[in-house]
Amino acid sequence: MANIAAQRIKREFKEVIKSEEVAKCAIKLELLNDSYTELKGEIAGPPDTPYEGGNFVLEIRVPETYPFNPPKVRFITKIWHPNISSVTGAICLDILKDQWAAAMTLRTVLLSLQALLSAAEPDDPQDAVVARQYKENLEMFKLTAKHWTNVYAGGPFVNSDCDDKIKRLIDMGIEEHQARVALSSYNWVLERATEQLFS
Amino acid sequence: MAEVMHNFDRYCIHFFNSRDCPHGDKCSYPHKARYEVEQIQYSPGNEYFLGKPRTNQRICRFFLRGNCIHQQNCHYRHENVTDIVLKGVEKSTNNRSPKGITNMNVPSTSQTENVLNKNSINSNLDLQNKEIRISNQEISPCQNENEGTDNKSIAEEGACASPPLTHINDSWVNAPEFVPKSSYRPKSYAEALSPEAIAEKNAKKELCRYVNKDGICRNLTDCTYLHGEMCDMCERLILHPYDEEQRKRHRQECLKQHEKNMELSFAIARSKEKSCGVCFEVIMEKANGEQRFGILPNCNHCFCLSCIRKWRQARQFENKIIRACPECRVTSDFVCPSMYWVDTKEDKEKLIEDYKKALSRKDCKYFKKGQGRCPFGNKCFYLHAFPNGRKCDVGPPLRQRRPRNTEADMDVLQHLMLWDFFDDRDFPWQSLADDLEDLVSFFTDSDDSDWSDYEFIFD
Repeated sequence: MANIAAQRIKREFKEVIKSEEVAKCAIKLELLNDSYTELKGEIAGPPDTPYEGGNFVLEIRVPETYPFNPPKVRFITKIWHPNISSVTGAICLDILKDQWAAAMTLRTVLLSLQALLSAAEPDDPQDAVVARQYKENLEMFKLTAKHWTNVYAGGPFVNSDCDDKIKRLIDMGIEEHQARVALSSYNWVLERATEQLFS
Repeated sequence: MAEVMHNFDRYCIHFFNSRDCPHGDKCSYPHKARYEVEQIQYSPGNEYFLGKPRTNQRICRFFLRGNCIHQQNCHYRHENVTDIVLKGVEKSTNNRSPKGITNMNVPSTSQTENVLNKNSINSNLDLQNKEIRISNQEISPCQNENEGTDNKSIAEEGACASPPLTHINDSWVNAPEFVPKSSYRPKSYAEALSPEAIAEKNAKKELCRYVNKDGICRNLTDCTYLHGEMCDMCERLILHPYDEEQRKRHRQECLKQHEKNMELSFAIARSKEKSCGVCFEVIMEKANGEQRFGILPNCNHCFCLSCIRKWRQARQFENKIIRACPECRVTSDFVCPSMYWVDTKEDKEKLIEDYKKALSRKDCKYFKKGQGRCPFGNKCFYLHAFPNGRKCDVGPPLRQRRPRNTEADMDVLQHLMLWDFFDDRDFPWQSLADDLEDLVSFFTDSDDSDWSDYEFIFD
């Protein structure tokens, strides 16, 4: 690994550890190997959003050409968000692509992702299904996102209605996550989800 | 009582001064009172004082002036001038090129001037010359200083200041006979009558170049050139004693140098803590050769030259992104290298101006003194001149489209005129700057990686 990248990640790592966001538990950064190429990030769901109370884990891969190229970041925790793929966790965020600047750091990236959670961009979607729901039925989107946060990110909001519907699909022999995706995609209408699953 | 081991290098200074030593019997230096020591010191043939050998055979010039603060402790010889002269005479009869001190402080009845030619002194002195010189000086008056002599030196001043010597008569009576040589030049009436002319002559005299160079002249008392006075800023013996112009000039130079030094130390102080916004390292602490700042003209963010240049060469992003500051995204057209960080607008403007000026003296490597063609045209910072020095106005930059494939590269270069036509017809909204960006990316994409460090400017 290029020396400059390792040196910089080392410095950034120290900076993040000392930063006030870590003190407030808003972001977290962990090293996964000694060569500073793979890290684990964690962001707290921002308040007053469906993601409040959840903890979202991110996978960060630092390229050799860092900081002249952006780090590769994706969500490991499953999340219901127009700019984040509900399947792969891939993120659509300009600063992680063509708007990257060499002065940005892992800390600013994590904070930007947190900001992305509170301000989705449905017009530039990564997940078309989620984006459509966001635009057509915002309440349903919020409910779904809250449910996903509760299930995957440890959020406090429990929706028994959703759980019941998922349980019924599981009883039909559908895998839980698959059932949840189907129900979420069809605005929690059991019939349409079933139809889609068995068609 | 345990026997005290005496250190015989020197006597106890407390006992010497006040006959009272706080260490008493246990003092490791021998106790001798002043009068005892003086007896020892002035005993014939004694070269030592307080048990300490004189380490240098040279004459103390402060003693010659009569104000050596080290007194008898001085490392240099404290000897009467007449003694030295006599020794010098003796030596001169035995030695081919004697180093005797010839500077004399003798009240003279003769009006003979010191007539020694500088050149003759500088050249290898033969015995006869030496004798003449000594005799001349012995009978030359101390007041020559005011009337103007060729033999003005610090040592002579010192000699004049020292108390009159009592046994001088013997020495000058015994001096060798004065024999005029061709170098003898009597003083004219005009010289004697007009002190201004003499002052002018004095002002034209050369300073000793040894003193000029490093402040030390081996012929301290012997030198026929002028020894300048100490400049209190550069601490060199460089101020001409008579030439007011030279003194003024030198002071100004010194002041200028001092200002420069101050500016430099301020620059270092403000650069010391600055770290690069890309690699996060303190720039002044980077490896040798990388301790350079890359100054962006349009914003005040700090980067090291290598990082900001690398960022601006990143081809994976749009030109708009890489030409912007990585911190504030304000676009800058070029990077100005600097050894130090600049804070103020004025400093920065000056730096950039200097940089452009420096570049404009270097030949453009694409123009090749008329052989090649510079794609940046008159926006290029480098010099476009023919081998005969005539400058050339190469006109506005070439307009360039991004190539669609690698085969098109040469076509594009060869059909610029045609493309210009198409551009104007098909893309009338396209600005010149966009074309330039394309142009730059075209060249930086090409194999010629030297383009990367090439400075260019956009509108």
